[in-house]
Amino acid sequence: MKPEVKEALIAKLTALADDEVILAQRNSEWVGHAPILEEDIALANLTQDELGHAQIWYGLRQALDGADPDRLVFFREASEFRNAELLELPRGDWAFTMLRQFLFDLYESLWLEAAQRSLYPPLAQAAGKILREERFHLQHSRAWVERLGLGTEESHRRLQEALDFQWGYAQQLFVPIPGEALLVAEGLLPDLETVKARWLEYATQRLQQSGLKLPINPGYQPADRSHHTEHLWSLLAEMQSTARWDPQAQVW
Amino acid sequence: MDTQWPRWEVFKQDTPSKPHQAVGSVHAADPEHALLTARHVFARRPQAVSLWVVPAEAVFSVTKEQLEAGTVPFPETPPTTKPTLYYVFRKTSHKRSMTFVDYVGEVSAAGPAEALKEAQSRFTDAEALAWWLVPALQVVKSDPSREAIESWFEPAKDKTYKQQQYYATVGSHVSKHKGAKR
Repeated sequence: MKPEVKEALIAKLTALADDEVILAQRNSEWVGHAPILEEDIALANLTQDELGHAQIWYGLRQALDGADPDRLVFFREASEFRNAELLELPRGDWAFTMLRQFLFDLYESLWLEAAQRSLYPPLAQAAGKILREERFHLQHSRAWVERLGLGTEESHRRLQEALDFQWGYAQQLFVPIPGEALLVAEGLLPDLETVKARWLEYATQRLQQSGLKLPINPGYQPADRSHHTEHLWSLLAEMQSTARWDPQAQVW
Repeated sequence: MDTQWPRWEVFKQDTPSKPHQAVGSVHAADPEHALLTARHVFARRPQAVSLWVVPAEAVFSVTKEQLEAGTVPFPETPPTTKPTLYYVFRKTSHKRSMTFVDYVGEVSAAGPAEALKEAQSRFTDAEALAWWLVPALQVVKSDPSREAIESWFEPAKDKTYKQQQYYATVGSHVSKHKGAKR
């Protein structure tokens, strides 16, 4: 593998893994607080699945440069994380969480479908494996979008507010990282523009069927994944505190 | 106001050759939601190939003790009722605390009382400790397609800590680290 390809691939795997781990951390905040026990368990499952996916992506990076996933997760500063800002936003209410999950699950499912054709076999295999779980995640979050959107006046209002707020943020999922064009040209990654076209079509259809209006003004659209909202700092403070306090954690 | 969502009985099939077994219940807003939460609650790690959910109120259940006492709690069925299909579930053992009843087959009957009689005459290979009779129309099933099975049930095979007895291996006992320095 050419050094510039390897470097870009390491950066992309890090971004994929960071998306998963940050969303998992946010969703884990619902454990013990979800509207009903069944959904509490569901959120814990989603969280564990996303962590499992993060482990797969960090593992692929480790195979390339030897970076220890635990060091990456627990000892990097916020400015070194490459997750999309959408995923670090505070969990908000149930509508906010479920809408974010829907927008992300849909992006991830479509991206993974395309990534199964990657010419880098470990990535193609990982995509196929993760896709199985993401299809179920998408069914779950889509069901909630339908029910909240077509439910009561209040649930509809909350979901529409979440959509107005998140729509611009979600567009960042389709902004290529530096070096991504090279990886697409080499056949290692799917072209994000193609994935975005499918995402827009499906998301628009589903959201409108759920009684929602797409925002006319998409609002703030982040691009650079090295930039973050203030919320990432407090999220990391909580997520990293134990590991930083006792890196060996032999006695507990 | 009662804000609790309806309760659904959940039946899980472990392999294609085994019957669906009652595993517990979930609260959910509608059948699709019930199947989704049932997958989350009952089939994340355990083996499964199919799930059924049934509104709890659609289940007609009767125990051996009730039958012996002659107190079958089923509603009267008007004589003009046309026969419909009922799913029959039966409990035959007290041994397993987590499994209540197993699917044994279908009968056609005009009402639950008739379905029970049919079931008693047809499924005689083991003593019934309890019967559950469910109108077939009330049974909602998970998607049997290959893609759905891969998405809902296959990932469980790769999960660690599938059984309770593995939980102890998550960490090691503190005594092993006595004297370890931070």
